[in-house]
Amino acid sequence: MDFANNPSFIRQGLSPGARLAICVVMSIGLLIGDSQYGLMEYTRQGMSVLFYPLQRAINYPVVAARQIDDFLTTQSELQAENETLRRQQMVLISRLQRLEAVDSEYQSLRTLNQLKSQRNDSASLAEILYSGRDPFSYKIIIDKGQDTRLQPGQPVVDDRGLIGQITRVQPLTAEVTLITDKSLMVPVMIQRTGLRAILYGYGGGIEARYLPIHADVRPGDLLLTSGIDGVYPEGVPVAFVTRVERNADSAFVRVTTLPTAGVQKGRFVLVLKEKTGVPARPADPPLPPQKGKNKNTDDSTE
Amino acid sequence: MSFDRPKELLKPVRRRFIYLSFAVAILIDLLPLPIDTVLWMPDFIALLILYWVINQPRRVSVGTAFTLGIIADVAATGMFGQHALAYSITSYLVLLRQRQLIMFNLGQQTLAVLALMLANQVIMVATRMATGSAFVGWWYFLPPVTGAILWPLLTKLLLLPYRSHKV
Repeated sequence: MDFANNPSFIRQGLSPGARLAICVVMSIGLLIGDSQYGLMEYTRQGMSVLFYPLQRAINYPVVAARQIDDFLTTQSELQAENETLRRQQMVLISRLQRLEAVDSEYQSLRTLNQLKSQRNDSASLAEILYSGRDPFSYKIIIDKGQDTRLQPGQPVVDDRGLIGQITRVQPLTAEVTLITDKSLMVPVMIQRTGLRAILYGYGGGIEARYLPIHADVRPGDLLLTSGIDGVYPEGVPVAFVTRVERNADSAFVRVTTLPTAGVQKGRFVLVLKEKTGVPARPADPPLPPQKGKNKNTDDSTE
Repeated sequence: MSFDRPKELLKPVRRRFIYLSFAVAILIDLLPLPIDTVLWMPDFIALLILYWVINQPRRVSVGTAFTLGIIADVAATGMFGQHALAYSITSYLVLLRQRQLIMFNLGQQTLAVLALMLANQVIMVATRMATGSAFVGWWYFLPPVTGAILWPLLTKLLLLPYRSHKV
């Protein structure tokens, strides 16, 4: 039997210090390998396959509780919901009719001007399995993966706007990096003026950086994806401008924004197709003698 | 009834029980909880590692902590090696003073556990900031406090199967 206070003259293998040294070296190696080279992708994939049944099993009581809750909704609730939905549908139908007219006009204008149509509206619905416990990275796991041919890079939206982008595809699940993550940037334009900007996630929020001090931005402006990056389709709502600060000591205006989508809420998300028919980027011209002067109207892709 | 465990006679701990407790902790880690719970949910894997290293240092030590850290890394979709590094260092700290920690009463042990859990978070914040993340905010140090509050309860709970009353 092992007791806590066994004398230590029995051979115990390596000393704790040596073990610690080995473990520390191994974990620092893993950290460097993961952050610099992404070497652990396959390990993570394999492990996530092992974890998937476990995740499903744990999710099961939650899902069952939700189903029971759904089943036990009262008739009055259903009626009220029905009514709001019907009203919404009427509004949407009227809007759609107008949109169809505008859309056909738009298509004919595009063909007249020999522009390629780039909007394709196919999408697949996915359920959020869980949000990662890691507070440093803003990621969620959805229940579709290689089995439904998802690709890294596909944009993910909910009913109100952009949520993020698929960054890792595992056999049965996929990892979505939210727009609030510090590694994600979204090219946007201001709906009111058409001014282009880039939204940077900074971990917990998003902000538009590098807009010149005289830029026409107001609180309440809606930011849409501009579609110039070849990833996000144009016209998806991303964020509202909540505050605009102009400091004389800075060349740029400070724009604080709030995502329109329920980035950390909700159960279902929509995975959109990546933009297709984007022509290859033209070869860079030989380096110009002077550097580019206007930063924020630069059309280069991220 | 005193809190000093060495005075009690306990049945030997089964290896199976240790594995089972770790499995439960991993399951709790994988639970699809709303995002707000991250603000205060204690890290049960870390708590259990501390418990078993204090009570069974011959069976659970740095290597086990490292392995569980890797599992926690995968479960948290964080960075590889972050939890592993923190858990192995804290379990080593426990091993250095294990003879004292085991003699502490529950109150003293709780304070020690609080310090160790805080050390855990500090190491994890440091590794993440070293690899380029922003500081998450001071709430990140709240889970160790709830973890420490749960420590006496956890200790009592894990001792239940090994009280030899039935014999």
